[in-house]
Parts: sequence; structure tokens; C-alpha cells
Amino acid sequence: MRKFIIRRIAYLLLTYWAFITVLFVIFRMTPGDPTTMYVVEGMTEAERQATLERYGLTDPLHIQYLNYVGDLLRGDLGFSYRYNTSVASILIIKFWNTIFLMATSLLIAYSIGILFGAYLGWVRGTAKEKGGLLLALIFRSSPEFWIGIVLLSVFVFRLGWFPWGGIRAIGAEAPVGFTSRYFNREFAYHLFLPALTGAIYYMAQPILLMRSSMISVLNSDFIEIKKAEGLSPTRIVYKHAARNSMLPMATVIALVAGMSIGGSLVIETVFSWPGMGREMVESVHHNDYPMAMGAFFLMGTVVIFMNFLADIAYVYLDPRVRYD
Amino acid sequence: MLSIENLNVYYETEEGDVHAVDGVNLELERNETIGLVGESGCGKTTTAKSIIRLLATNGRIADGTIEFEGTDITELSDRQLRKQIRWNEVSMIPQNAMNGFDPVYTVGEQIVEVIRAHESKTSKNEAWERARDLFDRLGIESDRVTDYPHQFSGGMAQRAMVALALALSPSIVLADEPTTALDVVIQDRILRVIKDLQDELNSSMILITHDMSVVSETCDDIAVMYGGRIVEYADAETVIKEPRHPYTLGLRNSFPDITQDSQELISIPGVPPDLVDPDEGCKFAPRCPFAEDQCWEETPQPEEYGENHIVECHRADEVEHLQEEAKKRETWMAMKDDPNAAPTKDVKDVKDVNQPADTLQEGSHDD
Repeated sequence: MRKFIIRRIAYLLLTYWAFITVLFVIFRMTPGDPTTMYVVEGMTEAERQATLERYGLTDPLHIQYLNYVGDLLRGDLGFSYRYNTSVASILIIKFWNTIFLMATSLLIAYSIGILFGAYLGWVRGTAKEKGGLLLALIFRSSPEFWIGIVLLSVFVFRLGWFPWGGIRAIGAEAPVGFTSRYFNREFAYHLFLPALTGAIYYMAQPILLMRSSMISVLNSDFIEIKKAEGLSPTRIVYKHAARNSMLPMATVIALVAGMSIGGSLVIETVFSWPGMGREMVESVHHNDYPMAMGAFFLMGTVVIFMNFLADIAYVYLDPRVRYD
Repeated sequence: MLSIENLNVYYETEEGDVHAVDGVNLELERNETIGLVGESGCGKTTTAKSIIRLLATNGRIADGTIEFEGTDITELSDRQLRKQIRWNEVSMIPQNAMNGFDPVYTVGEQIVEVIRAHESKTSKNEAWERARDLFDRLGIESDRVTDYPHQFSGGMAQRAMVALALALSPSIVLADEPTTALDVVIQDRILRVIKDLQDELNSSMILITHDMSVVSETCDDIAVMYGGRIVEYADAETVIKEPRHPYTLGLRNSFPDITQDSQELISIPGVPPDLVDPDEGCKFAPRCPFAEDQCWEETPQPEEYGENHIVECHRADEVEHLQEEAKKRETWMAMKDDPNAAPTKDVKDVKDVNQPADTLQEGSHDD
């Protein structure tokens, strides 16, 4: 077990290094630098050179690469051209905003989706299954922005139950400190609709996956034995069948969690949520490459880290992979 | 103790109802072992599973009673069945033990689970203690209760499955080809272990197999099944040595007899009958070298020949002639060549319908 984790950490580092390198190369291949953004009619060549030098863009590529890696190791994501401040200070806030939004969405989507999908697998062939399946397919084929707009029009503009967007009341000062920022009623109140939008959108996949996984597990011999043992149906479905059907879910959760960080863009736009997705797109628009790189870096970090967690989780979920 | 009367089990298919079990009568006494023998799809597994109503979604008990100590199992509610009968009184050993355990829990956890599901008073520690004790009695190191199923070898897994089956000291164990997946040496050991424990617990067993050598060693009585009916029933020795039904004679031919030096194995030509809306007449007639007009027209009724020997065959009283002729290869081969002899309806693979491939619904009916 320890050996497995150590080896897995080695893979993690290797993946990380490859990821950082690709990120660096891609952004060096894209055209544009700070001067193209702030191009002013009267900018002289000397001024341009000075700007480039200030950002370290006149160094040879390999030096730039080493500086980049070194900075990352120190937790320095660079200096934003657009905000004129460090990337990390801007991104860290947007990152947590997005994490809270997506974690809530996915938590709801996957806990309900898994249970509901397991149920659909169990009642296979009945009208209940057909109805549930239809619902899942509607969820799956509804675009996020549409779900968001529908929720907005009903709960905000018609019923007035929730705010139309943002993460706190307009004009309110951002509370200082992590806990006071996120763990309060004001935030939860603003979080509700966007999180629900995400939950609905992301719920279809676990439902459908769990259902088909359940159907194959329910055909196993051991399920028949459990029935013969006189265990209650609930116990058989959730303790045995669902537990076995969960195995493929670990991988999916990891992938979806990673991708949702970037994919939150649509929800963030509909609900004016100041998150990573919007920041990423805007920095690309404005050629703010350090910011965009930082955003991609955080997103990749989440993907890599979640996959690592999934692999570790697998060991606990499925005893058969333990000594691999 | 267990009395099955006129059991009819049908599977609903697109072609119509498959009469998988068609009027079976069976009596099982305490500490008795009955072997159910026959080809795939003859209804032996369906008969056994009917006892705990573990039929596929499309299967139903259409007629008959299954009385266990005075209670008709077919009349019980799902809940009563689950609480009183399943595993408490009737447990089962599947063909492949490795697949019979949930792979993500240890074998011990699964034994403890079933004990605690039925005996609310038994503490967790006591249940674990019992699991260890069962392992010990079955010749497995008791520490291995904390192992996962995949960590066992085939033979060990089968023993562990026997431990699971006997965890609640059931009155009846349904063993569905419990040793088919194992090699001969281990087969023998497992059978002996099952036998010993069965004697100790005073349990009865219904042993399903198509292996004549297994039944002859293990069983008190043998029921030979064909086309959903018990065509011959007698004590093991009689069935092996003095069978009267042509099907039993044919079946015996297709297994080697170690008491004879060299023996040609003769198989029964043809395929099992189509059980969708069966016609009148003996179901074995199309494959029977001794079939006469009467056999095609009239379903033979069970007749008693000697003590506890029941045969369903119009020609069972010509036993000597049948036994003599059945030994010859030509007798059976003639059947194969004669196209007029077997006007069978198109034969579907009955085996498929009998397999509980789709047991999902069954569960939801349990609610």
C-alpha cells in the first residue's frame, strides 16, 4: 500500500512537470505580449524594449522556462499585465469562488445522481425507470445557460426568492478572511441558484452511468445469493449492488471535477459569478497571458490532484486492486 | 419436512409460456439427500429455486404447493419468505463460489452480515466468532475470514461458500452443481465436507448435478428429470443399477463406469424438448429408441415399481428388455438416422430461458 502511494506520487510529479512544460510552450507560441496590449501610438521602440525587459521577455527561452518553473515552485504565478498586480492575489479569490460553486454543484449532482441511478437500475423495465430515464435525458440535453435562465426567470424575476447574481449583496464589502467570506448566509443565499443549475446539468451523467453499471452488477451471481440470503432489497441495492457499481464513478468524478473548473464559465456568466472560468476567458481576450496561464495552471492542478485522489480511492473502493 | 406437490413453473417468453417445471412431486425428509439429475434445461435448477422462490423475472409458480413443515411457501408474503425461509431454513451453494461472494467485502463480513440479518440478538463479536468457527470446521484457517473472496483459491472459495450456506444451520441446503467448477480431487473433498457437516447439523440437501458419479456417492435418493418432470425416482443404488426409464438408461450410458474395464460411452441423440405449450405424450418419445404409438399420444403417469421406485414410462415393465437393448450403441444410433422417428417441433434453446439472466425485477417485487 505504501509502495503504491509512493509510486503514485512519483507519477503525479512527472505528470505535473509535463503539464507545466506544455503550458509554457503553448503560451510562448501564441502571439502577443504586454506591448501589443498597451500599444500606444507614440510608444517608442526603446519604451517597448523596456516594457519587455520589465516582464523578463527579452531573456532566451530556456532562461524564461527556468524562471517560470522556479517561480511556480515558490508559488509565484507571475504578474498580471492587466491588473498590474500579482496573478496569485487575483486568482486565489476567483479560484475559491469557483471551487465553492462547483463543489456544491457536483456534491449535489453526484450524491443524488448516484442514488437515483442505482434506483433506476434496480427498477429496470418498469414505468418508474422510463420516467427517471426521461428526466435524466432532459437534464443531459438541457444547456447550462438555459437551465440557469429558466431558474432565474422563475425564482428571481417571478418569485423574487433569490438574488439575480453575484456572490454578495451589491455594494457590500467582501468580508476579510476565508471562513467569514464563504461560510455565511449571504454567500449561501447567492450560491443557491448557480449551484442548482450546475447540479441539474451535471446530474445526468452519474444517473445514466450508475444505472447501466447497476444493471450489469445486478446480473452477477452474488446478487442472487444475497437475495437467497433473505437480505432486504434496500440492503442488496445499496450495500452490495450500488457499492460495486460505484467503482467506475471514482474516475468519472475526478475528471468531471477537474473539467468543471473551466466549464463553470457558462454558469458564472449567467449568474455574474466572479469565478475562474470568466477570468480565464477575459484574460485570454486581453492577452493577459500570465493570468491565463495561472488560471490554466490551477485548473490542471485540480485535474491532476483529483485523479490522484481517484486512484487512491480505488484502492479503498475495490479490494482487488490493492496489491497492484 | 419438505413436500412439493404438483409444482408447475412457467417462464413467460415471446413464444409463449415455457413449462420449465411441469408437475413435479418431491418429498424430502430430515437429513436426507436427494440428487436432481438431468440435462441442462430439464428444470432441475428451477425446481430447486422455486423452494425459495428465487425465480427469474419472467418466471412464476403457476400451480402446486411447496410445503415446508406445514407452511406453504408459495403462499408466504415476500417479507415472511425473506425472514423465515430464505437462508434461515433453506440456503444454497452456487456452482461458482468465487462469483457467489460480493467482491468488495471480506468473506467474514458477508457471513456476519447474514447471521446478523436473521438473528438480531447475536452480537457482532459472536457472529465473527461463529464465522471463524465455521471456517475451522471446514478446514480453512480461521484467520482467513478477513480475506477478500479473490484471495481464495477455487476450492477454498467453495468451502467458504459452504460455511456461508451453513451459517444459520438451515434445514435444507440447495446445492446447485457445487463442485462442477472444481478438479476431481477437490470435488471429492468438498462433497465429503458438505456431507459431514450436513450430518452434524441434521440438514437435508437437494443436490443438483448432471454428474452421475457425484450423485451415486452423495445421495440417498435420486430424481431423474426430463422436460420439467421427474421421470424416474428411486434410491441411488436402484437408479444407478436398475433403472427402468429409457432416459435414465441413456444417461447412464453417457458416463464412464469405473467398475468396468473398457466401456464405450454412448450419448443420447437429439436435443431436449421444446417446453413451450407441450403436446400430450411422453416428452422423451422423440429421442427414445423404444417409443411406441402410445408414447406419442398419452403422457405416461407415475407408476410404482417396487418400494420407493417411481417411473413415468409406458414400457417400464419391460425392464429387462430395455436394459439389455439400451446397452447397445446401435439402439441409440438408429434413432439418429431415422428422420421419421423424431417429428420434433422446432427446438428452441430452453436453457436460456431457464437461466436467471434477468433477476432484477424479482428483487423489486420483494418490496
